[in-house]
Amino acid sequence: MASSLAIPASEYQGNIFKRTLQLLPGLLLLFAVGWTGKFLEQLIGHYGKAHHLTLPNIEYVLWAILIGLVISNTIGIPAAFRPGLATYEFWLKAGIVLLGSRFVLGDVLKLGGVSLMLVAIEITVSLLFMTALGKAFGLSPKLTDLLAIGSSICGVSAIIAAQGAIDADEEESSYAIAAILSLGAVALFTFPLIGHALGMSDTSYGIWAGLGVDNTAEATAAGALFSDTAGKVAVLAKTARNAMIGFVVLGYALHWARKQHHPEIANKAAFLWQKFPKFVLGFLLISGLATVRVFNPVQLSSLANLSRWAFLLTFAGVGLRTNISELRKQGVRPFLVGAVGELIIAGLTLVLVLGSSRFIR
Amino acid sequence: MSDNSQTTKVASKAARLGLSLDGWAVALALVLTLLVWLGWIKQVPW
Repeated sequence: MASSLAIPASEYQGNIFKRTLQLLPGLLLLFAVGWTGKFLEQLIGHYGKAHHLTLPNIEYVLWAILIGLVISNTIGIPAAFRPGLATYEFWLKAGIVLLGSRFVLGDVLKLGGVSLMLVAIEITVSLLFMTALGKAFGLSPKLTDLLAIGSSICGVSAIIAAQGAIDADEEESSYAIAAILSLGAVALFTFPLIGHALGMSDTSYGIWAGLGVDNTAEATAAGALFSDTAGKVAVLAKTARNAMIGFVVLGYALHWARKQHHPEIANKAAFLWQKFPKFVLGFLLISGLATVRVFNPVQLSSLANLSRWAFLLTFAGVGLRTNISELRKQGVRPFLVGAVGELIIAGLTLVLVLGSSRFIR
Repeated sequence: MSDNSQTTKVASKAARLGLSLDGWAVALALVLTLLVWLGWIKQVPW
């Protein structure tokens, strides 16, 4: 598979300029949508102040997502914009690394430790439950496994990582990705409402969003929609969950290799390293540097703002890449399995977080 | 899911340049951090 995709280095390098140019329209659209969201938030705030009105504070996160959703589902996204839009995950990961500057390593260890314990419970229950649900709904074993991996760890990245490892076909991973993305879109709007209705603290809510929302971009956005602090904590909890991706995908790869009599993975450590999300290490490195006071307050503020700009592009991308009619085409059964599973997982993680809230305040 | 395949394509293109998408994101973030630390990027507004 990899060899069929390979392009000679000279040919590729010759095209770098052209390929960079291809990214420009989408990048500009991401920036325009994100910046408009930020502008609207400030405009409404200033208008309210100037006219002594109490207007609802709608965060730029929500504006960026809503504007993106409207564009994607009305006029649509022309092909020229798609390569640049697809970079939203790149900005998400760069933003997470830079966000490390806003955490002292002690907080990372404390919150990350609690998150890791909750993550272990969440992953075990999700994998078992989604597998049983997939069987009950008569889904193919590989689609069931992809949905289980996607909903237990980190959405799209986990599904893409697992697709190659368990040799699932494109259609199966497309179904699983569609289900996870649809449910992520629903979670974006329901999680903050539930969090506010239950009067959750920023930390508790952030951990819940990080554990309960599958895709990293949506988890980050769902956290930021509640509050800035909740957004930070959601990223940390989600990062702890993402760190498990290699282990779970390795387990499934070994299971399917045995089942299909394929040769087993020779170097398991190399496999784990290949699947491990490297941005987790970048996040820890920057957090470590901030902890030993390598940066002064102005530099810390600049790094935090760079992270916000990166997330701004991500949130715009979340809205712009969500096309409801495309998601609808993927069929009802995988969506139903995902929906029932997600509902249970969201409930379970909520109970876990509320139960452990005295440790995470 | 054309958008997902676009994301996969971006990831595989990035990988062909010697680093994964993750690796490039980390590299960019570290370069920016270095520029801020060296004082080449003075202050980033929000």
